Amino acid sequence: MPPSLLIALRFLGARKRAMLMSLTGIVFGVAFFVITQAQTAGFEAYFIKTILGVNGMVRIEDRIQSTRAITATEGSSFSIAVEGSVKYIPGIQHPKVVIDALNGFAEVTAASPVIRGNATLIANFREYDTKPYGIELDTFLNVSDLDTQIIDGSIKAFGESPYALIVGARIAKRMNLQVGDSVLLDGPGEPQRYRVAAIFETGIDQVDRERVYLHLSAIRTLLNKPTGASFIQINLLDPSLAPALAPRIEQAVSHSTMAWQEREKTWLQVFSVLRISSALTISTIIFISGLGMFNTLVMIVVDKTREIAILRSMGYTRADISRIFMLQGGIVVVVGVVLGCAAAALGTYTLSHIPIRIRGIFASDHFVVLWDPWHYVAAAVIATIVVLIASYFPSRRAARLEPGAVIRGSSS
Amino acid sequence: MSLLRVENLHRHLGEGDTRCHALRGVGFTIEGGRTYAIAGHSGSGKSTLLYLIGLLDIPDEGRIWVGDRETSRLTDDERTAVRNEHMGFVFQFHFLLKEFTALENVMLPMRKLGRLSEEAMRAKASDLLTAVGLGDKTRRLGTQLSGGEQQRVAIARALANDPSLILADEPTGNLDHTNADRVFALLSDIAHQRGQALLMVSHNPDLANRCDHVFRMQDGVILA
Repeated sequence: MPPSLLIALRFLGARKRAMLMSLTGIVFGVAFFVITQAQTAGFEAYFIKTILGVNGMVRIEDRIQSTRAITATEGSSFSIAVEGSVKYIPGIQHPKVVIDALNGFAEVTAASPVIRGNATLIANFREYDTKPYGIELDTFLNVSDLDTQIIDGSIKAFGESPYALIVGARIAKRMNLQVGDSVLLDGPGEPQRYRVAAIFETGIDQVDRERVYLHLSAIRTLLNKPTGASFIQINLLDPSLAPALAPRIEQAVSHSTMAWQEREKTWLQVFSVLRISSALTISTIIFISGLGMFNTLVMIVVDKTREIAILRSMGYTRADISRIFMLQGGIVVVVGVVLGCAAAALGTYTLSHIPIRIRGIFASDHFVVLWDPWHYVAAAVIATIVVLIASYFPSRRAARLEPGAVIRGSSS
Repeated sequence: MSLLRVENLHRHLGEGDTRCHALRGVGFTIEGGRTYAIAGHSGSGKSTLLYLIGLLDIPDEGRIWVGDRETSRLTDDERTAVRNEHMGFVFQFHFLLKEFTALENVMLPMRKLGRLSEEAMRAKASDLLTAVGLGDKTRRLGTQLSGGEQQRVAIARALANDPSLILADEPTGNLDHTNADRVFALLSDIAHQRGQALLMVSHNPDLANRCDHVFRMQDGVILA
């Protein structure tokens, strides 16, 4: 064992209680940092999974009308584009053409046309305003998690009947609907009677209390929309590709195209702010521990002034002395980070099993956590930087001691 | 060739009004296998001279040769290496590291020098402690030893790297008469037997006179 490390290990015991307090602070700081990050990142990831499963990664909606240009004179090639004159024509007139165009994008794995509208659901002598979504079941399952959102009934039953529908859990509760019940939907077109094939729950309150899924053919009659689609929902190889791909698709198909990151910007920012805020708050525990570590090491330097002088007299260099104190910080941070990470893993595991019913932006019956090694790396890096800075100044002070002056002072 | 040569050493201490000329052109040589005492009253410059010779301080003027190596232009690390290899220090207060056993304290200079294996260092430290009469107390912490015993551990530690020069600053100043006699006899015997030089600062004229040569100092100069 290098002599500096041996001496550092022995000197650690010089201020056991203070050193133990600093170590405890670092353990708790690291553990809480990881746990809060696992929790906030877990909720964020679960939220993203939920909204992608409901609304898809990219949506193509309204058609963009070409920018108007003012021509100088009849037949002239000189024209001025009028900025800000872009017009959006609601819906997609030729969804099949647009979907065919999407074949040119390797990142697109699936696309499904959807017709959206408004209708009144009538059942059990009650009326309820809903937003029916007309879907092609086969393709829609490739751009959503509808099959996993079913809490009662079955997707299969929906697929087998053209007049079947799937209702949101909040609607079913409000209207006292059960699988197999018959309901009437009254829209701009012909009112039609449907049978409830399944009930879905996304956890997103707004979706669960206003959305019903019908077959595309059925909704055309209900809303009197014989052609076209309201939007096309797209799935990609990787959700992170959406922001870069959306403008390219928009340009290629001349329809407004929005990535999920843009669509859910508000919530994503809320999660981001929460994560940063919790990281900063918890980091203060580590900073305070670093301050304690600084004080402890300064006290050890003062306590060990004569020992430092004698070590210098017997041949230990200034760098050796500095290393002894830096190593003390290093030992504390290594032990603190290891114990902190172990406590964090245990805490995160325990937290993920705590029952809690969450509905509103997603559905979960327990705390959601994200196991991410980068959380541990970040905590370790913060703790290491703080402790090494806290150790640097006492170590420099120790290294600068003049052994002759110290020994002369002690002997006089 | 002399073991140590000192030439025209000057040293000022303090700042401003308190600045004083502590050493005024001191020079002498030291041979191996002999014992030397620096005697004089308080403030005569004895300790200042010892710390300069031990390369723990830097002279304002003058030069110090350790063997054939002139030390005035050495860096701090180089001077530290010279101390590690060629010098052993015994101070009035033993300055043992209390977290270490007697054996481990003696091994500390050897660990820094890094020339011996762990086993060899242990064996040598044990031999040195036996030589100073503490062979049965090698595993005791410094706090579990008497003052005289601690000073003997410090002597063993000073001898750890077989230094050519042992520098002792009032090594018996903190001991009773019996222990002082034992410690001096030990240092003197070791120096004579091993061919090492002992340079000792002492207030005690009896002990100083038992050395082979005495440098008497007054007001920063050697009288004889």
